[in-house]
Amino acid sequence: MKIDKEMLIRKKYLIFLLLVFITTYFVFIDLVDGDWTSLENSLLNLRTFFSESLWPPNWNVFEARSYPTCQKSWDFLCSPAYIGIMETLEIAFVATGAGFILSLPLASLASRNLYRDSIAIPFRILLSAMRTLPSLIWAILFVILVGLGPVSGVLAMTFYTVGYLGKLQYETFEGISKDPLDAAKAMGLSKVEIIQRVVIPESANNLISQLLFMFEYNVRHGSVIGIVGAGGIGYYISTYLKFFQYDKVMALLIVIFIVVVIIDFLSIKARSFFVDDVSFKSQGVISRIFRGESNE
Amino acid sequence: MNNIISAKDLKIGYSSKSILAKIDNLNISRGEIISIIGQSGVGKTTFLKNIAYLVKPISGSLSVLGSSLPPTRGEIGYIPQKLGLINHETVFFNVLEGAICNESIFRSILGFHEPRILDKVVEVINLMNLSEKIDTSVKRLSGGQQRRVAIARTMAQGAKIILADEFLSELDDKTANNVWKTMKEHVKTNQITLLIVEHNERRAKLADRCFKLEKEEGMPHSSFKEFNNEN
Repeated sequence: MKIDKEMLIRKKYLIFLLLVFITTYFVFIDLVDGDWTSLENSLLNLRTFFSESLWPPNWNVFEARSYPTCQKSWDFLCSPAYIGIMETLEIAFVATGAGFILSLPLASLASRNLYRDSIAIPFRILLSAMRTLPSLIWAILFVILVGLGPVSGVLAMTFYTVGYLGKLQYETFEGISKDPLDAAKAMGLSKVEIIQRVVIPESANNLISQLLFMFEYNVRHGSVIGIVGAGGIGYYISTYLKFFQYDKVMALLIVIFIVVVIIDFLSIKARSFFVDDVSFKSQGVISRIFRGESNE
Repeated sequence: MNNIISAKDLKIGYSSKSILAKIDNLNISRGEIISIIGQSGVGKTTFLKNIAYLVKPISGSLSVLGSSLPPTRGEIGYIPQKLGLINHETVFFNVLEGAICNESIFRSILGFHEPRILDKVVEVINLMNLSEKIDTSVKRLSGGQQRRVAIARTMAQGAKIILADEFLSELDDKTANNVWKTMKEHVKTNQITLLIVEHNERRAKLADRCFKLEKEEGMPHSSFKEFNNEN
């Protein structure tokens, strides 16, 4: 009996994986509900769809739209790909900036080391409610409220950003060292002064890192919300999908992929400059320019 | 009445079920330097936090600056164990944190500091011989310099009571003596009451009065005892 118990402990990961596999299998069978025919030709369908509809991508998305007439020096600047991705970037930029500014006071009020539970908990619930709805659902709501276009996109993304960033921020605020807070409280500084002079400076590195992460996240999600009419490149994707122009959709997806990779790269570089984590720190040109030559 | 801090039948701790220390009677006068020694966990830091109104006493009476209500802005300067400085901000920023206690909250929040406040910051930084480091971030300073920034902050604040928790620990003897000299000069000149928690008994005896917080056998909590600093 003793040997069996030891064996169980040693093989716990294997047993766990086996359990996950078996559970997944049975849940999947339940979902399929006996209709396996739908899966029969899936690989063949994918091959046909890819070779006949998606590939090669149609790079006409970089040509100027026929209407309205292009007034710019380069046709490229009037192309759906350029207009779409720029609008997505603009929506993400404004939503991240506005969301950051709005989430700071809410996150402060939700921090239990700054305010008592009777204040902090309702604000936590509010932030939680704001991020319960994904940005796509917020976008549908705002398209109904303010109509089609980037404004509803900005509002949707801002709401989601406040909820998401707010949670990250109050967790950061609660994680700051207790000593500077105690010193400031003993001095008799007001709550706003404590937040302004202790909490925000103490968590500045993390706040900037979270801001950059959120921008990157919003660019990715900004591509989706256009599908419901909230502006950005998603709007063009949705239009091409409606007209079965899958090769153009493919071209736009490649554009999004490249932009996201570039932003991801820039974000990592920028974050490595702000975050004091040696394992994460980049010693590249950017950090040398900003940080100077001194080694701490 | 010259007593700046008076405690009577005071019980301190974080819950009534686990009282850390009991103080029967304690009176501290203006301008006195008091050191408190004792083993870890006997309630030294908690006592300082009680005086700073960061923790409420469990029972008994504690009067600070003649009142049991929280003191007015800037009257208490608290230097925690790790100094409580904003490490990646400059010396100026940290000292200004203390100085803003002497101007209106409105001005302080908007950042429109009165010229006398800014002058005061520069003046105390000069007094602490930190003028060359005014724009240096605190994390780049030595342990001794960081302690001088903490003193400068309380000076700019104009505190009437300074509570320093293990202020000189982690410093070598020479630096600790220099910092102690600076602090002593500052509090004696300005008639400030200083309460310092100290692990080093020899250094604790440099104060005007020394107290030991220790647990007696069979007692659930520790108690305050004055001991002769001439020993």
